[in-house]
Amino acid sequence: MRKPLTRILTVTLIAAIAWSCNQSDPAPKGTYVQGVFVGNEGNYSQNNGSISFLSREKNIADIDVFSLVNGSNFKGGVQGYAVAGDHGLILVDNSNPGSDKIEIVTANTFVTEGSIGAPDIENPREVISVGGTKAYITNWGTLNSDYSYPVGYVAVVDLATKKVTKKINTDKGPENLVLYKDKVFVGDYPFSGGRNLSVISTTTDAVTKTITFKSEPNPIGIDINNKLWVQAGLELFRLNADTYEIETTLSISNNKAKTAGHFAMAPDLKTIYFVLSYDYEAHGETYKFSITDTQVNITTPFAKRVFSGLAVDPLQGLIYAGVAPSYTQSGYTLRLRSDGTLVDSVKVGIAPTSFYFR
Amino acid sequence: MLNRQLFFCLITGLSVFLAAAEKVVAQKDSVHLEPITVYGFAPERFMSGLKIQKVDSVTMEQFRFRNITDLLSLNTPILLKNYGPGQLATVAFRGTSANHTAVLWNGLNINLPTLGQTDFSTIPVAGFDQLSVQYGSSASVVGTDAVGGSIILGSSKPQAGLQVMIGRQQESFRNNQTLATLKYGTSLNSQWSFSGKTAVYDGRMNNDYRETLRRGIEIIRSKTFQKGLVQDLFFTSKKHELSAHVWLTENTLTTNPQNLAGRELTRIKSSRTMLRYQFEDWVVRTSWVRDVIDYAVGDYSKLDHAVTDRLGIRGERTLEWKVGSSGSSIQVQTGGEFTHYKTQVENYQRPVITENRGDLFVLTRWQISPRLLTSVNLRQAFVTGYNPPFTPSFGVEYRLVQDKPYTIKLRGSVGRSYRVPTLNERYWKILGNPDIKPESGFNKEIGAESVYRLNKIHSFTGNISVYHNKIDNWTYWNPANNFNVENLQMVIASGAELQLGWKGNWEYWKFGSNINYALTKTSQEKVYDAYAVDVVGKQLPHIPVHSGNITMFAGYKWFRITKQFQAVSKRYTTADHIQSTDGYVLGNLILESNFSWSFANASLQGRINNIYDTFYQTINGNSMPGRSFAISLVLSAKTPEK
Repeated sequence: MRKPLTRILTVTLIAAIAWSCNQSDPAPKGTYVQGVFVGNEGNYSQNNGSISFLSREKNIADIDVFSLVNGSNFKGGVQGYAVAGDHGLILVDNSNPGSDKIEIVTANTFVTEGSIGAPDIENPREVISVGGTKAYITNWGTLNSDYSYPVGYVAVVDLATKKVTKKINTDKGPENLVLYKDKVFVGDYPFSGGRNLSVISTTTDAVTKTITFKSEPNPIGIDINNKLWVQAGLELFRLNADTYEIETTLSISNNKAKTAGHFAMAPDLKTIYFVLSYDYEAHGETYKFSITDTQVNITTPFAKRVFSGLAVDPLQGLIYAGVAPSYTQSGYTLRLRSDGTLVDSVKVGIAPTSFYFR
Repeated sequence: MLNRQLFFCLITGLSVFLAAAEKVVAQKDSVHLEPITVYGFAPERFMSGLKIQKVDSVTMEQFRFRNITDLLSLNTPILLKNYGPGQLATVAFRGTSANHTAVLWNGLNINLPTLGQTDFSTIPVAGFDQLSVQYGSSASVVGTDAVGGSIILGSSKPQAGLQVMIGRQQESFRNNQTLATLKYGTSLNSQWSFSGKTAVYDGRMNNDYRETLRRGIEIIRSKTFQKGLVQDLFFTSKKHELSAHVWLTENTLTTNPQNLAGRELTRIKSSRTMLRYQFEDWVVRTSWVRDVIDYAVGDYSKLDHAVTDRLGIRGERTLEWKVGSSGSSIQVQTGGEFTHYKTQVENYQRPVITENRGDLFVLTRWQISPRLLTSVNLRQAFVTGYNPPFTPSFGVEYRLVQDKPYTIKLRGSVGRSYRVPTLNERYWKILGNPDIKPESGFNKEIGAESVYRLNKIHSFTGNISVYHNKIDNWTYWNPANNFNVENLQMVIASGAELQLGWKGNWEYWKFGSNINYALTKTSQEKVYDAYAVDVVGKQLPHIPVHSGNITMFAGYKWFRITKQFQAVSKRYTTADHIQSTDGYVLGNLILESNFSWSFANASLQGRINNIYDTFYQTINGNSMPGRSFAISLVLSAKTPEK
């Protein structure tokens, strides 16, 4: 019996060596190294949100990658997803008080690494990576009994320890985050009653400046000229990102019944897409404008419909738009060209609202 | 204006009906017709052709300390949608929605008019004496909401003498229930007798679970406190019966009590009162129901307060004639009902909203021959602003085999049904739709029932039903239109139900088992937008295709052991079937012992709930608790029968 065993071992060994030589080393391994991640809010009371994964070359998505990899769902709606360093951070909103959390996964494999929950995290809203070592996460905190917004905070997550190291108080309903050089601009949720755009220093993790607006400010992004674009109510502002001076104000519409939202900066850093809706986002159109426009054109829509989420892929330039037909069925992600023509429509999870491109 | 018109219309209509009913039948009076007076509430009398399941007293006793949810899910094929122990529980009857089951208390619909449904977790079995479950549409008999079926609760008239009963149940998780009942009856003079019942109950579900997670999924913490008072009074003579009925309930539910900022309070207080007077074949009933719902999150100092009052009057006349000597008889009940609604809900379009609703009905039951029975029922409802569809139904029963050790009865029924939209659907600020149309259903069913007495020991029962129910204008809070409520959907619910039972009675030993199985196919059929194609034709979420239960018992003298099983197949949790939850089997074990003395009785019961520690989930995907225990003792005494 010994002879055949030795032979098998030898053959196996040779094969193994040959195989290992065949491997090219530098490319990162994992199914989720490249592609588009769609954050689905799910049906709030059912806590059944998910992250869908879509390869740019395919028109079929994995509807719930976290369950696919880890065997069970994270139980909540997804408010945001971002990769920071080697980690992916999923913002999970659960309908039960005290059960919100940040689910941390290995970015390339989506294997869970643990989570951070209450009291550090309560109503998490948006996340960005800061220098690959830490992440900023806006949190509303627990809403008041009359559903009004308390002063919220930015939770600073240290990716090495996977702990919240600091909570930076900003304003009511902190929402969107925009990174520029060594600072982060933090805006407020449109119905929160917050009025201040907070500027946080990424070196000290402290608010260094607040800029007050008449409505809730929403930082959109930094354009090709290093200017910060901010939307507040039905107005757009172009700010000098270093001096915070408001250089230009554009009116979107005079119709107070309408709401502007889902702003997305294109990778050319010159074009901005947004949805102008009414009746609580039930009806409306999607528009685009250029940073050089002297007036926002709302006569010819980019798309004659509203979307539940909007983002532009920096790699291909395609516009990803979320459609949520109801909260008891799958949503779709439409891929559109910059002229508004449809590439395809891909079934994703329930209520797709956010996108992350890798 | 409309209100006044409606009122006049009702009153005139009613008098015409009442007068005509007598004449029409009187004209046919060529054969010998003999009027008979029928007492009691029982709407079941005119439901021939429909399946009615009367829950027996042994079962009622076994569930005395529990909610109606447990009783129904373990003894009927009705599907309960549970949000957690002591939390909201709604029913899906024969594949319909929570709004499609009428809940009647002594003939009065007690669904909350704001929501158009009953939270079954707020109804303890201690609150009523009789329970019947009627399957399929019976809107022509009971009115709105009776689309999928009806739950019929009733008070029964106590016998003469005095009966006292007191009981207590202690459960796992620091839960307990206490109840006390006093029944009394006496003759006042040679003409009149008096009887009554006073019952109080108190339930405290603290739900202090030892485990907070099951399979990594949270068990949502909640506390439910429940109390109630039932008062029935009957004054009866040969020709008159006057009765008064009161049922006061209060149910306070707090979810996540440990979280002061996020805790959620829902308190439902209902005061239901009724006065009923019967003189020979005339019945007049007045009722007043007040439902108060208080709701708050976090800070309880400011409650979201909603009050709805319903003031109703109903008059009816029941006549029965024997036709000849063949055993043939005709029974006609005709009458009308008028209800005034007044609701004060913070988020409604106006601070106080009132409306009137009325019904005119003619119900007939014709026993054509000892074998053949038919029912033709007609109803027209009126609601301020618009009118639900005219609702007729026809039912037939035929005794195929009788006078043998076994009997076979065939039955069939066709009928329309309707659901008046809820007050929320019509008056909710922004989202409500005052122009919403009533839902309208068309139900067809056939069935067969058989009883087989093999010998003095063994008896068998069997019951099979097949139904098809189409509900059009099914309302939908349309997310594509900012959740405004619209009549977008059409649902077809069809299925079959099978019941098989066996009982064996030896001298000391008693054995028996009962099986219920339901096959339910129910789906939305109308394409109302481009994305509805992902949903059309698929089983509605949360409704399993297969469900059933088995009860088995063995008794020896005063001792009884009962095993209950409930099985539910895989359920989809989304309308397009991308998510689902696995099927499960739950088992309960009950041990009971009775001790009797000449005038007193003690009953001791021990119960193991979820004996296999099965993992199963609520509608929202949270965990339900595992195995738990309960023990109860009931002491009763009564004066000796004369």
